[in-house]
Amino acid sequence: MPTLVDLLARVSFLAAMPAVAGIFVTASLLVVSRDWRLNVTALIAQYFFVVLLLTRLIRLEVAAVKGLTGWMICMVFYLTERRASLLEQSPASNSASSPQRWHRWVISARASFCLLAGLLVSVAAYTAALRMPLPEVPNDITLACYLLAGLGLLLIGLSENPMQVGLGLLTFLSGFDLFYVALEPSLAVAGLLGAVSFLIALATAYLRAAQITTGDGVRQP
Amino acid sequence: MIAGPLVLLVLPLLMAGVIYLLLRWTSISALLAVGTTLALGIAVLTLPLDQPVHIWGGRQIAMGEVVTIFGRELVLEQSDRIAMAFLFLTSAGIFFLAWRIEQQPLILPMGLGLLSLLNGALLIRPLVYAALLIEIAAALSVFALQAEGGVLTRGGLRYLSFTTLALPGLLVTHWLLERYALTPNDTDLLRVAATLLALSFALLLGVVPFHTWVPAVTSDSVPLAGTFVLTICNGAVWFLLLDFLKTYPWLRSHPRFESLVYMAGIAMVIVGGLLAPSQRRVGPLMGYAALIDSGSALIALGLNSGAGLTLAVLSLMVRPFGLILMAAGLSGLRARNGGDDAFEALRGLGWQAPWSTAALIFGGLSVAGLPVSAGFAWRWALCRALASSSPGAALWILLASAGVMAGVWRALWALLARQKDRSVPSSPEGWLTAVVIVVAIVACVGIGLFPQIVAPLADRLAAAYTFVGR
Repeated sequence: MPTLVDLLARVSFLAAMPAVAGIFVTASLLVVSRDWRLNVTALIAQYFFVVLLLTRLIRLEVAAVKGLTGWMICMVFYLTERRASLLEQSPASNSASSPQRWHRWVISARASFCLLAGLLVSVAAYTAALRMPLPEVPNDITLACYLLAGLGLLLIGLSENPMQVGLGLLTFLSGFDLFYVALEPSLAVAGLLGAVSFLIALATAYLRAAQITTGDGVRQP
Repeated sequence: MIAGPLVLLVLPLLMAGVIYLLLRWTSISALLAVGTTLALGIAVLTLPLDQPVHIWGGRQIAMGEVVTIFGRELVLEQSDRIAMAFLFLTSAGIFFLAWRIEQQPLILPMGLGLLSLLNGALLIRPLVYAALLIEIAAALSVFALQAEGGVLTRGGLRYLSFTTLALPGLLVTHWLLERYALTPNDTDLLRVAATLLALSFALLLGVVPFHTWVPAVTSDSVPLAGTFVLTICNGAVWFLLLDFLKTYPWLRSHPRFESLVYMAGIAMVIVGGLLAPSQRRVGPLMGYAALIDSGSALIALGLNSGAGLTLAVLSLMVRPFGLILMAAGLSGLRARNGGDDAFEALRGLGWQAPWSTAALIFGGLSVAGLPVSAGFAWRWALCRALASSSPGAALWILLASAGVMAGVWRALWALLARQKDRSVPSSPEGWLTAVVIVVAIVACVGIGLFPQIVAPLADRLAAAYTFVGR
């Protein structure tokens, strides 16, 4: 049976522009979508592409461990949102589910705005990658770092929902991690950065649980 | 022989676990937390660094011993001693008030855990790891900031966001400075490092326009947990900044250092002074008052002199007296008002909760820097120091203090309004709560009347940071 490291080695041919394109698509999905299922799937895929790029900078085993940390974070988000959706669901809302499901695929004003903002940030990231290449990393990875950091920042700024902000923080940190492993390949730093990511996921999941318990009561200043 | 730095890291963590298990017995857990932090604070302040000390069973403890964990050194230096004592003793004050004020004081175990991490941040070398430990502490503080069953805290989320955004700058700076040591001709590296450091510390200290997390933390979080963030966590960030300035002397000799720090401080004072009197709730008012205090401390640091540094350190030491009292008052009032701290909703509550009202008002006076309060001691000295060199800054600080006072006056006016039919029934404050609050008020007024109690400590700590001429 192939190990995780073997599997990563088999798909290493994707670890260049295809992975950067994958990061662009998944991070853009996180910015636009408010459907937690889609978001968790996008985050899983995003961590996969980040791990692929990481394999070019650090040892395969370390990259695999970083990937596992990311997928555990996705598991935390999945379990929290699953529980939240069960708590939010009421019998009355089931009857109205089919039109809601249909409406989900019609692009809303909010989604259009997010899409446009995401595209603008992506263009800015592309320009920054051309004008200000990061040291110690190849050009395509520079672009991936800028995309992740930029779209992560956009996610943080666009919402006050704990899960959206959490996704933004983790996307931003993924972008930084991709750059920083090339500068500081120390295992201690890698471990602490992994712990930071995991704690951010736990903290945002805790806040999401509090939000559900209190019925989304964000007090106005 | 037991290494002192290890005790300072492990003991709070162990006690955090024990206290979490005992949390349902509030008095036992609170007094254990107070005892632990008091003992550690006194130990770190009094035990000598250069020789081991006998403790129980023939065992010895060596505070100055260097500990190596995973190849990283934990070093207790002279400057760290007073800084850590400040963190421990301030925590003891917060835990003491949490004993009578908070119903489910999750701040006790979380606070001890955070103390362990923040101590680690002060002890660890190289400084790059301190940034990571502060980030972990910020993530953990969210659990203390969010009240169980309370409204969702935006403060916790924003604090976590801003701390996370500050992390890359601090980590990359370390790499840039290592690179500069190899290629000293490449001064661009220093320029980028200085920019990144300035941005990171602006995010961590809540410099305008990155200040939004400060009022958010006090607005809707557990008040004493918010105060923990604004005094202990923020204090650790200040000590980290002073460590950076001490380790990298080119930073403070940068031609724009003074003007940058001064402008950052002035911006905080102006924004805080303008927004504090216009608040309609006590929570955000407390946040803007803290913003003004931080800004004034930055102005003191911007003086780039021994006296300025002493004043900045003194501000850190006296800030908890006012903020803890305000938080205790706010917590007591919220508990009796269904969690609402709007001025309109508080009308007449002062007659039902006189001790919480007194705590809020005395705390407010101290944070505003009014006479006969802890805050006055350093704020007046700063205004006098600024009067000759930059009277404009002194005027802004005085006006900002007046702004905070206006907000506190509005709160007092609402609290003491005569209301015949208050719909929310409230339980009376117990005599023990009154005693705890009176002790805190006496401490606050005592420091205001006799600032020489803390001033020598501030002077010693400032002297340990040798980056300015004294």
